[in-house]
Amino acid sequence: MSNETAAITRHRAFSVARVFAITTNTLTELTRLKVFYVLLIFALLLIGSSIFMARLTFQQEFQILKDVSLGAMSIFTSLLAIVATARLIPQDLEDRTVYTILAKPVPRFEYIVGKLTGVLLLLAISTLVMSAMFLAVLYIREQAVLHETLRQMSAAPREQIDDALRAVRSSALNIDIFPGIVIIYLKACLLAALTLFVSTFATTNIFTIVVMVFIYFIGHLQATAREYWLQEHSTGWITHSFLALVALIFPDLQTFNLVDDIVVGAAIPLGLFAKTAVLGIFYTTIYTLLATFVFYGKEL
Amino acid sequence: MMRFAYHAAALRRSVLVLAMVLAFGVMKLPGERALFVQHRQLHFRGVEFNLDLREQLGQLGFIAALSGFRSIVADVLFIQAHVAWERTEWSRVLLLFRQVTTLQPRAILFWDMAAWHMAWNASVAAMNDRTQPRLALRVKAQREYFALGKDFLERGIKNNPEKPQLYETLARLYKEKYKDHASASEFFAKAAALPGAPGYEKRFAAYELSYCEGREREAYQRLRQLYDAGENERLPTLITRLKFLEQKLNIAQDQRIPDEGR
Amino acid sequence: MTDAAVAVRGLTKVFPVPFHRQWSRRKPRDIDGQPEGVTSREASYQSVVAVRDLDLRIEPGEVYGLLGPNGSGKSTTLKIILGLVSPTRGQTEIFGRDSSLVESREAVGFLPENPYFYKYLTGEETLRFFGKLCGLSGARLRERADQLLELVGLTNARDRRLSTYSKGMLQRIGLAQALIHEPKLLVLDEPTAGVDPAGSRDIRNLIVDLKRRGITVLLSSHLLAQAQEICDRVGILADGVLVCEGRLEELIAIENQTELVLENASDALVDQIKTLATSSNAKLIARRRSTTTLERLFLDATSEGSNK
Ligand SMILES: Nc1ncnc2c1ncn2[C@@H]1O[C@H](COP(=O)(O)OP(=O)(O)OP(=O)(O)O)[C@@H](O)[C@H]1O
Ligand SMILES: [Mg+2]
Repeated sequence: MSNETAAITRHRAFSVARVFAITTNTLTELTRLKVFYVLLIFALLLIGSSIFMARLTFQQEFQILKDVSLGAMSIFTSLLAIVATARLIPQDLEDRTVYTILAKPVPRFEYIVGKLTGVLLLLAISTLVMSAMFLAVLYIREQAVLHETLRQMSAAPREQIDDALRAVRSSALNIDIFPGIVIIYLKACLLAALTLFVSTFATTNIFTIVVMVFIYFIGHLQATAREYWLQEHSTGWITHSFLALVALIFPDLQTFNLVDDIVVGAAIPLGLFAKTAVLGIFYTTIYTLLATFVFYGKEL
Repeated sequence: MMRFAYHAAALRRSVLVLAMVLAFGVMKLPGERALFVQHRQLHFRGVEFNLDLREQLGQLGFIAALSGFRSIVADVLFIQAHVAWERTEWSRVLLLFRQVTTLQPRAILFWDMAAWHMAWNASVAAMNDRTQPRLALRVKAQREYFALGKDFLERGIKNNPEKPQLYETLARLYKEKYKDHASASEFFAKAAALPGAPGYEKRFAAYELSYCEGREREAYQRLRQLYDAGENERLPTLITRLKFLEQKLNIAQDQRIPDEGR
Repeated sequence: MTDAAVAVRGLTKVFPVPFHRQWSRRKPRDIDGQPEGVTSREASYQSVVAVRDLDLRIEPGEVYGLLGPNGSGKSTTLKIILGLVSPTRGQTEIFGRDSSLVESREAVGFLPENPYFYKYLTGEETLRFFGKLCGLSGARLRERADQLLELVGLTNARDRRLSTYSKGMLQRIGLAQALIHEPKLLVLDEPTAGVDPAGSRDIRNLIVDLKRRGITVLLSSHLLAQAQEICDRVGILADGVLVCEGRLEELIAIENQTELVLENASDALVDQIKTLATSSNAKLIARRRSTTTLERLFLDATSEGSNK
């Protein structure tokens, strides 16, 4: 090595500043794409669903409000993850902006991680905003019902009133919803990473999105296929290997649908939450690594 | 013919990626299965997606239920059931509630509503059915609806053994519809034993027992215990039942509870 | 011995033609017979040899022009030097560091051909973004962005989105982003493409200025007149082969030939000169209107190259 080389500043193998630059840039790009319209649709859905509920009891009303909100949240974050990620890298390749970025001292790994982090940040913001909207509506409805209950029961003894109010409160919000929302977010993260992986070898955005929608549906069936594969041995070998392929290639998305049960009052143990979260992070990491691997071999 | 040979490098890479995906697939299996087992134990994911469910829900509902819309589909069906009830279409109510509870077996509310519609609403409607002149058949229909309600509650309990509400409803069903006080008492007691049960469950269990021929002593002991527990439990019904049993069991005067209004 | 600014040794790049395009293309375009340096296995399948056995060495402080017609492999060579495309065979280095290493890119700024940036960013945001990628931050980055906007004359447009920029402005912001981290080597792929004459002149002056400051420049072009003005050395590519290379004066001068440029010469005079020449053992081999010398060289060299 010559003196001249030594004079050049030492290169850092991984730089948070560089990743952060790409992340904020990606976030800017995504916000300019008006993806936040999804949030507007969510708000409309929240308001719309309350029209249905006029003639139901408060337990029914709260349950439907929670179901609709969290179900929509799950769908919208997943959809957002797929649609926002699908075009991220192909667009850069097509516009050749990737040349200018990778011609700087930016490892391809950082580029991938930066892009993905941008999407994950977008998803986090969307999830937070949707949660806030949902909680606000739930709180307003809860207050209204509490008020109504107090008015109706003004003559009843103290104990009964307390009982009734407790019943209203407990059917409105249960704390277990929050870990449920975290899991919804992690599911969206894994879908984003998987979309990124698919987009590194897909030829068009449409292809990526179609493949991801396919994966989304099969992913919810993966558990059924997997258990069948591992427990039934009476099937023919063709069916058997098909099931094995489904079980190995697709992620188990059904595992991440904890809210369905949480909403109706099932308590989620900390261990289950932690394991699910770890699985989600594990999937996300692996798909990111795979995306990076394919991207390294890519002819730009 | 296509010539693959040149693309050997690209092909090798694709095969490598596929191998990595499969290897990762093998790696993730134990974790996925462990979670699956835990879900089962905790009665999470109470739904098994099978052909039966698909037949029930239709293609579209099935796909929606599969893709994270499960609870929303259940809600939609529930609202439909609500409408069917307003129109007193009982067989439709039954069908819809079967779907709702299959989709969302952890929702106490749905089991409870299903049982209530069957055992309390539909049964009464069947008894008052003017199109059926024969009493025997009306009674038969009524009993069938009782049984349907009971069935919903039993399955609901199986799916949610840790929640007291359905035990209580089942107890009420036994008490009000079957006049089976022993079973009613048993289920009130079961509800009372669960965490989060309201205080009255224990009392109700004892009341029901007081109606059972041959179990008066046991009932008396339980009621007395409640009475001794404090002022809060000394409600009019409790005192009436206790006095009734004191009479029936010939309890010694000095051990009896004091008279009202003393 | 100091490292060369750019060293390219035995570089070959073969692009596979994707399956779906092979159907419409019956005959391999590039490969007739067996070009040297390409094995029979590579040559016998449908593919494009973009660069063939290329050797280059660019010394620090030099301005080097890579010339060649469309599709001759200029851009491919530059991309390989920057590590954006992996070579099929051979090696490239920047200041002694292999192009496949990320750190080799610290000392180089690159302007791709027809650059296209994030159009939702303003000029200033673009520079700040690329500056951050090079590890700049804070006051230093701000200062550097201001300097460069000034240098390329975009100070007035700094707060406008790139979607509103003209092609010439994009080229200039591209140049600014290539210079953001004060690289010792600048690689420019057709820096004056699509830029009007005045703009070209500005860019040319800028390059001359950079050279004065000791920055090595490697540029590709097919505008010969320009290359002639600013390049110390040029290499001419034809079909991926370096057909000639050297200092401009040397390339242009044909040692045993002298060219006379006459004005208002009658045919009689030319005939006289011809006899005079024959009598002194010389031979008049051509008689034609003068062209830009480099252009002639270029046409000669490239037609020679494709006849190989
Ligand atoms: N990604 C690619 N896949 C297949 N072939 C390619 C690819 N990139 C370039 N080529 C081919 O390689 C050859 C050289 O292309 P290159 O872009 O290097 O030429 P160039 O000298 O820059 O031309 P121009 O002056 O038009 O920019 C061309 O025949 C081109 O078709
Ligand atoms: Mg080019």
